[in-house]
Amino acid sequence: MNPKSQIRTVLSGLIPFVFLVIMILYLFGPGSNLIKFGTALPEITIEKIEFVDSEIQATVRNTGSIPVTIAMADVNDRIQPAAIEPDKSLERFETALVRIPFTWNRAEPYTIGITLDDGVRFDKFVEAASPAIKYDYNLAGFFAIIGTYVGIIPVMIGLLWLPFIKRIGKNKYNFFLALTIGLLVFLGIDAIQEAFEVSQKNLSPNFNGGLLIVTITILSLLGLYYVAEKLTSRTKLSPDSKPLVIGLMIAIGIGLHNLGEGLAIGAAVGLGQVALTTFLIVGFALHNTTEGLAIASPLAKTKSPAFKIIILGLIAGSPAILGTWIGGFFYSPFTAIIFLSIGAGAIFQVALVILKWIYQSDQKLVQASVMSGIGVGMLIMYLTSILV
Amino acid sequence: MVLILFVLVGISVTIAFSTLSEAQKEQKTIITHSGKAIQTYGDVLDPLSNASTVEFDPQKYLRDFNYGHISKSPTGQTIRDFTIIAEDNKTQEISPGVFYNVWTFNGTVPGPTIRATEGDLVRIHFINNGSKSHTMHFHGIHKAEMDGVFEIVGPGGGQFTYEFEAGPVGVHPYHCHVMPLEEHISHGLYGVFIVDPKEGRPPADEMVMVLNGFDTDFDAENNFYAANTIPFFYQHHPIQIKTDELIRIYVVNMVEFDPINNFHLHGNLYHYYPTGTDTVPSTYTDMITLSQTERGIMEFQYTYPGKYLFHAHKVEFSEKGWTGLFLVQKPGDATGSEYES
Repeated sequence: MNPKSQIRTVLSGLIPFVFLVIMILYLFGPGSNLIKFGTALPEITIEKIEFVDSEIQATVRNTGSIPVTIAMADVNDRIQPAAIEPDKSLERFETALVRIPFTWNRAEPYTIGITLDDGVRFDKFVEAASPAIKYDYNLAGFFAIIGTYVGIIPVMIGLLWLPFIKRIGKNKYNFFLALTIGLLVFLGIDAIQEAFEVSQKNLSPNFNGGLLIVTITILSLLGLYYVAEKLTSRTKLSPDSKPLVIGLMIAIGIGLHNLGEGLAIGAAVGLGQVALTTFLIVGFALHNTTEGLAIASPLAKTKSPAFKIIILGLIAGSPAILGTWIGGFFYSPFTAIIFLSIGAGAIFQVALVILKWIYQSDQKLVQASVMSGIGVGMLIMYLTSILV
Repeated sequence: MVLILFVLVGISVTIAFSTLSEAQKEQKTIITHSGKAIQTYGDVLDPLSNASTVEFDPQKYLRDFNYGHISKSPTGQTIRDFTIIAEDNKTQEISPGVFYNVWTFNGTVPGPTIRATEGDLVRIHFINNGSKSHTMHFHGIHKAEMDGVFEIVGPGGGQFTYEFEAGPVGVHPYHCHVMPLEEHISHGLYGVFIVDPKEGRPPADEMVMVLNGFDTDFDAENNFYAANTIPFFYQHHPIQIKTDELIRIYVVNMVEFDPINNFHLHGNLYHYYPTGTDTVPSTYTDMITLSQTERGIMEFQYTYPGKYLFHAHKVEFSEKGWTGLFLVQKPGDATGSEYES
């Protein structure tokens, strides 16, 4: 291609954009009168409320389409003097910290209200006031222990099924592989559901939470699938190492999933929800033994050294610790949703890879062992999820 | 060369400005009612102490009585002419930092306090410069066609002259009576009408307090309450009075949405004349309860100097602004300054 025709190609690609820009300027640009209906309403979201020594602190974010000015703070609908840092004018998506000197009572419910300069009030309800957790090494250590109990130990326990799976015949083996798919599909849907819950409860509608979840999940699925395919096709894999690679992918996918679980636990501790925290720890721990099974299944027909299997277990389990740290120390609904969606995408990708693997070895998916495996896998997950 | 100079000037200006803006970020302290203090480099959100910045001056309104343009009729009757202009496009800072579309008589909420003596001929030249229909409806005794209910005054300069004999003696509200009534009243179209007895009342330090509120987020619940519009104003600009001087307060409850309001005085009791129509007080108390447009006259004097609270004992209202202070001083000790916080 000569330079001239290259320029032409670029130009012909750009021309529609130019017209698009002109049209948008005409419709919405300065001096445009065509579209002039509706009123832009100011909106803020109170993202976090913390109870510190004789002070209540609220983190507010401008989640509307126009800049806002904060005028007043109240506690239980009673006006209180307060400070706002860095300042009271918030551009779009900017946050500020409102500090209200207030002698609050432990375990009592509080509603914190913020009034804007146009007199509109936004509020957030806290079920029970509890002192904000102190961010120090002790807490980090505490989170690490919880993460270990929730992530690493259950996965390791699950890996102990490996010798059992090694001893069974092809049909039963396929059943267990399919069981893994069932477990994973359930976990993926669970993560997405969780993400939607967080989005509805804590994320401003401005972020389009639902579409964000769908987009991130699909991006994660496509990205990981593509990378995994490239990896497995580039390195000439011996039939022996392929299961290990699949095991690794499962471990990574589950690791991302456990990161999400860690986030949930860390955030629950951070929000002072003791009952929820305990429930989550017990629930996730039981749940996660099945993840060990998921990693073990593809490895069953190969001779994989024990240390490699342990490493896979660590890859799958330890992100739970990281998750509790992120969730506890830097929780935001936005990051929680992102992590949960990435996790969901990773899990679906792994399920897809195993499915493909079964198909490649048998040239047939519709068989009793596979169908019943997926079904039983999902049932097991459902039952463990309601039992705890 | 020029370019280098330009860059140098640019850099120094940037540095100078950045240090300036840092200097502006001074540390401020917030002290609450209970003495708690926090330090901040941010902004202060405090309707309790910033109240001097608002447009409407409750200190001025408190003792501001309008007697009208006075003339005599051939029969010797005193005629008082008032001009009242209604508007509904003003945005007023009704609490520090909170801006609300007020509907006003003569530009303020409440409207001017109209005062006449029993038997005077009152003539209100009403002009509606608003964008909606408005009227003036006086509580009192007058002809049906002067009632300001069916004689709708149109927007954009509509006019009407209300003419009636002042009576009965007492304190009465006036307000717009166009539907939807709650909307017109809660936006601020009200004021006080005082009818003095012919023989007059004993000399006193007289003041008007309209108990009102604002529903700034339109959820049929008030976000702010006050005596004379601005929340917490008199708490930080105490009303200065003297010991042993008779104080007379014309109090009118114009709060919408809430069925009752009340008035509690600290360190003292007052004689209360409901509607101000009788010369004998009905009660001697420190607490009266007022329904919508219920009003009366309170009379009291302080023996001991000091700061005394007055507020709604419906504490929700007082914590949303309906609270104030009397600063009682011995006659010789008065500082002379009108404001003190």
